[in-house]
Amino acid sequence: MNFWLLSPELSLCGIALAVVLLDLVIEQKKVLAVISVFGLIIPIAFTIALWGEQQASFSGMLVVDNFSLFFKFLILGISALVIISSVDYVKKFARFQGEYYALILFSTGGLMLMCSTGELISIYIALELASISLYALVSFLKDPKSSEAGLKYMILGAISSAVLLLGMAFVFGITGSTHLDQIADKVSTLVSGGQLWDSPALLFGIVLMVAGFGFKIASVPFQMWVPDVYEGAPTPITAFLSVASKAAGFAVILRVFYTAFGIEAISADWGMIFAVLGAISMTLGNVVAIAQTNIKRMLGYSSIAHAGYIMVGLAAISTLGKSGVLFFLAGYALANLGAFIAIIAISNKTGSDEISDYSGMSRRSPVISFILAFCLISLIGIPPTVGFMAKFYIFNAAIQQDLLWLVIIAVLNSTISAYYYLRVVKVIYIGEPLSDEPIPSSIPMRVSLAITSIGVLVLGIYPWIVLRLAETAVVTFP
Amino acid sequence: MSLGLEHYLILSAILFSIGLYGALAKRNAVVVLMCIEIMLNAVNIAMVAFSRYLVPDVVVLTGHVFAIFIMTVAAAEAAVGLAIIITIYRNRHTVDIEQADLMQG
Amino acid sequence: MTELAFWVIAIVLVSSALAVVLLRNVFRAALLLIVCFFGVAALYITLNADFLAAAQVLIYAGAIGILLLFAIMLTRDLHSGNPFHRLHLPALVLSLLLLATIIGVVIGTDWTTISEVPQVVEMPLDEPTTSYIAIALFDQDNGFVLPFEIASVLLLAALIGAVVLVRREGKD
Repeated sequence: MNFWLLSPELSLCGIALAVVLLDLVIEQKKVLAVISVFGLIIPIAFTIALWGEQQASFSGMLVVDNFSLFFKFLILGISALVIISSVDYVKKFARFQGEYYALILFSTGGLMLMCSTGELISIYIALELASISLYALVSFLKDPKSSEAGLKYMILGAISSAVLLLGMAFVFGITGSTHLDQIADKVSTLVSGGQLWDSPALLFGIVLMVAGFGFKIASVPFQMWVPDVYEGAPTPITAFLSVASKAAGFAVILRVFYTAFGIEAISADWGMIFAVLGAISMTLGNVVAIAQTNIKRMLGYSSIAHAGYIMVGLAAISTLGKSGVLFFLAGYALANLGAFIAIIAISNKTGSDEISDYSGMSRRSPVISFILAFCLISLIGIPPTVGFMAKFYIFNAAIQQDLLWLVIIAVLNSTISAYYYLRVVKVIYIGEPLSDEPIPSSIPMRVSLAITSIGVLVLGIYPWIVLRLAETAVVTFP
Repeated sequence: MSLGLEHYLILSAILFSIGLYGALAKRNAVVVLMCIEIMLNAVNIAMVAFSRYLVPDVVVLTGHVFAIFIMTVAAAEAAVGLAIIITIYRNRHTVDIEQADLMQG
Repeated sequence: MTELAFWVIAIVLVSSALAVVLLRNVFRAALLLIVCFFGVAALYITLNADFLAAAQVLIYAGAIGILLLFAIMLTRDLHSGNPFHRLHLPALVLSLLLLATIIGVVIGTDWTTISEVPQVVEMPLDEPTTSYIAIALFDQDNGFVLPFEIASVLLLAALIGAVVLVRREGKD
């Protein structure tokens, strides 16, 4: 047991505990946010120090490689930005501010462990650590909307994890192991005939696992929770859910499918499952998003659509497809977080998430409005933003794998999506302002807005900074 | 036909389907949670049955370990789930899911 | 003997699970759920899983069962009973489809393809499982230590989450 490899998670749990305990004695609650954010530097430093490591520990359950470290860095960064942008938001809580930060940190720990386990039981437990903390966070406001969102998230989360477990049970039953590499050995003898249909139990297990993981990444068929939960949850938690939970979900899918079911005979079969689910997800998300009047709900449907775009990269079974998924997730995280942080800043003042209340926002707060518009443009995928580079890269990977039909659907969908994103931009810039009061922004808000918007722009112009990291990360998988 | 893996798996499948039906079709949130527990129990039966019958004449303990972890998580999930149901009840004095429809569209 | 026990337990399990879904009275549904939990414990005994049977009685029939009964009493929503959702027919169709698929998969699969399993703790039949489970969980070389450690953090997170949600706002 090599605890050095576990150091990012261990230090993260230590910080979470410290925050809960210090909450008892500290009167000035802002200090807790400072401790959480600066505390996150420790696990981030450990993650960077581990870069280049290629080891398994805890009898193959903890896998530390560039792939898991890429995701750990991404998730820790998202967590830090979410905590920074929560500082103003949590002022409305009379108590439990320390628990709020601690639960975010616990959930971050769960998501990080999801990315770096090579064994089904550990994947399940890590996933539940992330989910249970998020159930509590979604209903944290305890008002009617938030508790309703929490109930829906909890019920659908529990059903989907039961489905995931049934899939894992069948995979365990047919292969006799829960270690991904041992499953891989067994799978290659099981499907030596070259057809997944030869082993119905394996096929069934794989389908159920896709469905179960689909809940985490917000794709069809477990997407129904998304709009209600996004609307009802505290906005920083919505931001966290939409990017961190999705990133960890895709990390698990990549690792499970490329390690355990990666042999060529069956990878085309599950690639096709992802292609079909991706096409349905993006179409459903984009078409329903057009009718939305609440911006958090609209971004919820946009999140379903983006799960669909990323699945294009899963369907293209190649190094280009895998690294495309990683780059897309990083770009999506920056753009979506930027949009959500701008929404938090605006709703802290106006108290509303209705798109109509954004009318003329450019005259009340030119900088925040510009960043919101810029991030929405990145979500459409227009240059010079990271959204364009991400889509370009991932669609290119799909074309090279002869998935032209999927790319055509995806490009058509991007065109549809331009309509509802640009409608918000139009309301912000052309509408009449509802009042003359400017939107105040605190220093933490400005810092996080600056980080995300500069990231969106820089990665849109110099994408290879992250692309090269993504390419070294995916060499783990043959 | 003597007792074998198939018997246990089909029993587990029946329980899982009953649980899924209840979880999707009932309106009382507490009953939905109860049905989810039935689903998890069904999965546990399958795990333990695989453990027993996977290799002839020995028990492969991975399934037992998996079942223990599922029980642990089920208990934690039930605690948080019931806490959420109680906050819902405090807000509107009902635990009817169909009346939880503040957000539509 | 085991065969007879299996069929009796199977009938009890399926009928009590159906009762949970179909009964009008929520309180009775919860009591039958506890019967169902005991049935699963009995089923574990037919599968040589004595430790799990004990854990099932303690955790499910004991802790979770009592927790659910408390929740029913705390929410005092008994008068509205245990009605069905308006979408219960699609749910029925989906569940029956899943059942048919699983039965087809179970019957259509050759389950006897595994002769040995590497790196996993095995034990002979008809021996108490407890000490072997301890080895399987905590063995230095191939034990499940990592999930065990994550589970401890998970319980702490669940504890904090449940306390935060149930405590009322404002000073004590």
